[in-house]
Amino acid sequence: MTLRDVVTWALVIAAGALEVLACAGVALMRDGLDRLHYSGPTALAGVCACGAILAHGGWSLIGMRAILLALVLLVTTPVLTHATARALHRRSGAP
Amino acid sequence: MNGWLWAATAIVAAQLPLLAVAARRPPLEGLIGLEVSGNTSAVALLLLSEGTGREAFADLALAVGLLSFVGALAFLRFLARIG
Repeated sequence: MTLRDVVTWALVIAAGALEVLACAGVALMRDGLDRLHYSGPTALAGVCACGAILAHGGWSLIGMRAILLALVLLVTTPVLTHATARALHRRSGAP
Repeated sequence: MNGWLWAATAIVAAQLPLLAVAARRPPLEGLIGLEVSGNTSAVALLLLSEGTGREAFADLALAVGLLSFVGALAFLRFLARIG
């Protein structure tokens, strides 16, 4: 097993573990804002998956799309989290 | 089955509790489940693409990532409008 394989599988396992953690967090938390905290790791999992694909296959066509998807997730997840948190805050009626 | 496909399978299986959240919780909390599910599906499709060697799944992952963002924003706007 080469160093490239070690890095690849470490990143794949990290991506899978982060996604499972995020899903479990959203399912187990009681409050809406608590659930929202767990949407963040999904973007990081996307970056880990992108890194794994680049480490495994280099600059392939799938690698390019993986970079694009990681960028999309890194930009859209915080925007969506912020918008949802604002809606939850408004709904709660807090000043 | 290779490691990529096992990881994609685990991620898809982890989404099952999100279905319960989306179905049983109030609309805004269910929307959080939908948002996380969109991101998770995109990553699962990306791993599936690498596991099978088919680039079409990577295109699909990109489309899911973008459209889940737009869809969640539309739902947020709708839920804000109906109060």
